[in-house]
Amino acid sequence: MKLTHTICPSCSVGCGINLITQKQEAVGTYPYKRYPINEGKSCKKGRECYGMITEEKRLLNPHIKKTSLVGSNWDESLNLAVSKIKSYEPEEIGIIGSGNCTNEECEILKKFATSLGAENIGYPAGNFPNFDFETGNLNDVENSQFILITGNVLKEYPLIGRKIILAKENGAEIITIDYPQKTTTGMISDQYIQTESIRQFLDDEAEKIQTKLNESSLILVSKLDNKEELEEFHQMAAKSNSKIIPIMKECNSRGAMNILPPLSEDELKTMINGMNLLYIVGDDLASQLGETLKKVDFLITQSTTLNQTALLSDVVFPSACWVEKTGSFTNITGNTQKVQQILPPPGEAMDDATIIMKIAEKMEIDL
Amino acid sequence: MDSNYLLARAKDEDLLKKGECGGAVSSIFQYLLDSNLVDGVLNLSHGEDIYDGVPTLIEDSKDLVQTCGSLHCAPTMFGDLIRKYLQDMNLAVAVKPCDAMAIKELEKRHQIDSDKIYKVGLNCGGTVLPITALKMIELFYEVDPDDVVKEEIDKGKFIIELADGSHKSIEIDELEEKGYGRRVNCQRCELMIPRNADIACGNWGAEPGWTFIEIVTEKGREIVENAHKNGYLEVKTPPEKLVNIREKIEGVMIKMARKFQDKYLEEEYPSLENWDEYWNRCIECYACRDVCPLCYCRECDLEREYYSDSGETAPDPLTFQGVRLSHMSFSCVNCGQCEDVCPMEIPVARIYHRMQKKYREQTGFIAGMSEELPPLFSPEKE
Repeated sequence: MKLTHTICPSCSVGCGINLITQKQEAVGTYPYKRYPINEGKSCKKGRECYGMITEEKRLLNPHIKKTSLVGSNWDESLNLAVSKIKSYEPEEIGIIGSGNCTNEECEILKKFATSLGAENIGYPAGNFPNFDFETGNLNDVENSQFILITGNVLKEYPLIGRKIILAKENGAEIITIDYPQKTTTGMISDQYIQTESIRQFLDDEAEKIQTKLNESSLILVSKLDNKEELEEFHQMAAKSNSKIIPIMKECNSRGAMNILPPLSEDELKTMINGMNLLYIVGDDLASQLGETLKKVDFLITQSTTLNQTALLSDVVFPSACWVEKTGSFTNITGNTQKVQQILPPPGEAMDDATIIMKIAEKMEIDL
Repeated sequence: MDSNYLLARAKDEDLLKKGECGGAVSSIFQYLLDSNLVDGVLNLSHGEDIYDGVPTLIEDSKDLVQTCGSLHCAPTMFGDLIRKYLQDMNLAVAVKPCDAMAIKELEKRHQIDSDKIYKVGLNCGGTVLPITALKMIELFYEVDPDDVVKEEIDKGKFIIELADGSHKSIEIDELEEKGYGRRVNCQRCELMIPRNADIACGNWGAEPGWTFIEIVTEKGREIVENAHKNGYLEVKTPPEKLVNIREKIEGVMIKMARKFQDKYLEEEYPSLENWDEYWNRCIECYACRDVCPLCYCRECDLEREYYSDSGETAPDPLTFQGVRLSHMSFSCVNCGQCEDVCPMEIPVARIYHRMQKKYREQTGFIAGMSEELPPLFSPEKE
């Protein structure tokens, strides 16, 4: 039995956890109380994140589609993928990364796309746009006297939720905006603005809230209906010298955003509809865009598991989980944290960067 | 070795130098590993610094030096680690009193095999949460926590040692009044000398460079005697004066702990309104249950369909915390892990510890100490 420090890959907060391994297998997690972000506290997803490594559907070797998806080897699958990529014009090729990829993987994927001349590249970012304004840090949450929240932060990002609780215990006023259904965050708030849409709040009530904001306030944006709305919250913060933290979903959403263009669901749909070959690294797009993906001529996927996207693919490369590789994740407050390899990837799986380089090598692209 | 009390230190030079109080504990582990009486030793080692205690399994006595020295900023729990991952091993483990209490409850419930485990107890005056320690050292000692090479708790003070050999100390009372210092569970804990382990080791009543050992069980006597006979341990009998000093320190600390129990469990016990507010924060993440060394049911009642809530709002405290209360509070060893890991800062241990105290008053059952199972214990859960 061995305990090793790592960063939780379950969301964008970047908590520290101890991974327990036994005979080179992940068997559990243990509180990491020395870690400043979460001080040994983790949510359920965090404590159970080792399940991603031991998941039953882990891919152990490459697969290619014959009549159905069948096991293959690296040579055959790489040759097929490369011959297909070569057969399309760069304008017909779409490349999609993920907020779950490390910064280094996003960089290499971008380099690959640039070398190929493929301009259709991005990663699924939900309703969050690219932004370059300065964001607050987690101590700012705890030290604020007024916090405006969109979404159910307590439940979805509990370790930021904790900072809201600490601020509340210090006397901070909390206002939450969310859809009409009751939420834990709403219930602990001094005021719970239940609205049909974020737009409706911005149009009808933002002005009134603006008068409460000052330099000891903070805005936590975890829910948006539309990417333009973030700028309006940013304006509210800028006008009042308040701090702001947009809370995106994946462990490296903020890092990916600095390297690849963030794409909303609609933008992804539009992009994919124009493509004949799609190369997806690290995201299970089929869960939201299954029908759209089915229209693509040729689909290449890198995935840790045999998920919905892998099942739709023509070539699937088995990839490594976060503790099976080395790299870095940038959390919501812009803190870049290293992750070290603790375990070898299972079977013939490889880390995403190596797979991208293998494809590049076969295409005689120098990365 | 007729007495139950003795002073001991390592024969091995490296352990003598690097071990705490002459390295007697490390030497006993060295003896157990070298003579194949155990397959492994579970102890703490430094992770990135002295505030980062990492549970570490040592299988070769040459590696024991990694675990030398005590760490007071490492509120870890070994009970569930042993139950889940080390059951198949013959094991020696360095236990704080709360670890020993948890292990004892698990042994009674056949979750840990007492024949396979040597419990080397470490006296404990309480632990400090690492991040609290970092903040406290910056704020009150005005020292960069990275410059601290060693910390200790002695004579009511939290003492830090800097690289140049100088020391700074502050009364723990003073730190705790300001909300720093030991964890509140440790403040309330009245078991400083783990007489629920095989031996209890520490520096109270010890001469400098020696460890004071109290032998508790026959198994404990055997390992100390044999470590001595086989040339691992140097021993001598402590003068009565030292035995009395140790007893006196223990007495003072127990008295202090009872005062803290009154404070946290009675005088400043949260009101019903406070509890309502706390329960409203609960995100039903099960962290309290998952970390509890006493919760081990394969099928947890909390996950039964008839108890499940919508998920978006806090669960009904009656069917969540209430169910836990009725299942484990009588066996609560006040280790405080549930409070340490609660993301919503709910002081859950207070309600469980308070309940165990009341249960103790009524039935005489002391969780973690009594040899028998609690009255009304339902074996069904196994």
